[in-house]
Amino acid sequence: MPDLAFLYTLMSWIFPFECIEARFMQQAMLGLLLLSPMTASMGIQVVNFRMAFFSDAISHSAFAGVALGLLFAVDPHLSMPVFGILVGLCIVLVQRTSSLSTDTVIGVFFSAVIAFGLAVVSRDPSSTRNLQLFLYGDILTIGNTDIWFLIALFLLFFLYQAKAYNRLLYIGINPTLARTHRVSVGFHQYTFAAFLSLVVMFSVWAVGVLLVTAMIIVPAASARNLARSAGGMFWWALVISLSSAVSGLILSAQDFAQTATGATIVLCSCLWFIVSAVIALFRRMQKTNIS
Amino acid sequence: MIDATGLYDEPLNIEPAVVFEGVSVTLGGVSILDRVTASVPRGGCTSIVGPNGAGKTTLLLALLGEVPYRGGIHFSSKINRNVRVGYVPQRLAFDRGIPLTVAEFMNLGFQDKPLWFGLSGDLKKKTRKQLAMVKSDHLENRRLGALSGGELQRVLLALALAQEPDLLVLDEPAAGVDIHGEHVFCELLDNLRAKLGFTQLMVSHDLATVTHHATHVICLNHRVAAEGPPCQALTDETLTAIFGMHMGLVDSRSMPFGKSVCTAACCKGGRLA
Repeated sequence: MPDLAFLYTLMSWIFPFECIEARFMQQAMLGLLLLSPMTASMGIQVVNFRMAFFSDAISHSAFAGVALGLLFAVDPHLSMPVFGILVGLCIVLVQRTSSLSTDTVIGVFFSAVIAFGLAVVSRDPSSTRNLQLFLYGDILTIGNTDIWFLIALFLLFFLYQAKAYNRLLYIGINPTLARTHRVSVGFHQYTFAAFLSLVVMFSVWAVGVLLVTAMIIVPAASARNLARSAGGMFWWALVISLSSAVSGLILSAQDFAQTATGATIVLCSCLWFIVSAVIALFRRMQKTNIS
Repeated sequence: MIDATGLYDEPLNIEPAVVFEGVSVTLGGVSILDRVTASVPRGGCTSIVGPNGAGKTTLLLALLGEVPYRGGIHFSSKINRNVRVGYVPQRLAFDRGIPLTVAEFMNLGFQDKPLWFGLSGDLKKKTRKQLAMVKSDHLENRRLGALSGGELQRVLLALALAQEPDLLVLDEPAAGVDIHGEHVFCELLDNLRAKLGFTQLMVSHDLATVTHHATHVICLNHRVAAEGPPCQALTDETLTAIFGMHMGLVDSRSMPFGKSVCTAACCKGGRLA
């Protein structure tokens, strides 16, 4: 892999903080700068499709993915995303073909992947060490290869989003309406699930299983409060997600804080949410005053 | 009666826009549609009437390919191309909290450039024209979720028309709109149909609207009870058969011929002109 040193140095220039001088912090910063725009953009659609539970199920399959990797001696970095995509596509397949409601289908998969992960881990007590990593995540251990993979995913992801953003919104509003307008709903649902699975799996490394959904939906939820158009919603989500990631990482490294990075990032975006909710409330009150 | 028969025989001889051939739909073991055979004359306003749960919406969904069915549904187009279908759903179920303007909504299927970069000038202009056609140009920058039932219906109609349909399918277009609004909406549709020349197929359970605006009626209660021009199809016997006691909403015999069916613009373009 070619060296990414110049990008890391760039990080310390852009963010002239003492804590960003360490290489692992520069790597973490770059990783977050790549990841948070993706979670923001995904979040908009997750909120529109009401798929928060879906991303939860995928994140919980991370553990089963790692367990599978242990079982077949495959690198968890490979087995996790592959298994995640598989689970995501399976959920969409069952959801499209069965008459069960979406949350029931996801619930079944959710339990299956957790049970599977626990079953494998319980056979081998030494692997419980991994459990903690997946519960809380650790962006600070992100490596060069991960960064390269993130860069590739980033490019592919935004190419896809640029093509599919409008159509995905259309399907989110009403699939039948989109289909009569010759939008291929199935294709978009499958590709969306695959990308969502990949983004979720990377976020598991960053913030852990417990907080993945928060990282995806909180910026989008705040953006909904603030934006007045679908275009605006994208930019708001992007700004909120990026600023939360950067400030979360820097704050967590301060001497007075010394908190887990993932948790701090999510707390920052929750702060955004509170502010946006107050603004939305204020706007509504103003409107009723006028009329 | 002879006059009336003579008056309405001719449209049936033109090749119909849609033909349902023995369409059956079974959902969860329950038969919803049973060998439905009917046709939709080109250029007219065909109305599917029937009581709640008669399978009216299901027939439309089968037509749109949303529901698996047995039998055949054949389209034919004036010019040789794939038939374009515009669809106006019944009370669009969507997330009302979504920040999405009417203009953005109208272009979700048209603009390829992501909405992050706004709407292109050309599409904005086109959208304004489309909205003006349904007398709703003032709604352009409103939030989709803030529209009233009637306003939303017009926007959906504008969106369907923007797709330049050969066949416009409407599911209870006036549900949730007051009687006056319903009448205005149907009149608007009649005018647009005369101007743009599409074929209109709608579901309605309001017989007064049907007798006033439809040129062709399919009476449906799981199977076709009657089909034809309103004054022939909506007989007392048919209505009693599909609705039970129909409360004398329409007395087909009391409708004066010629005026009974349609006084609107569509008929001037068709038979009465």
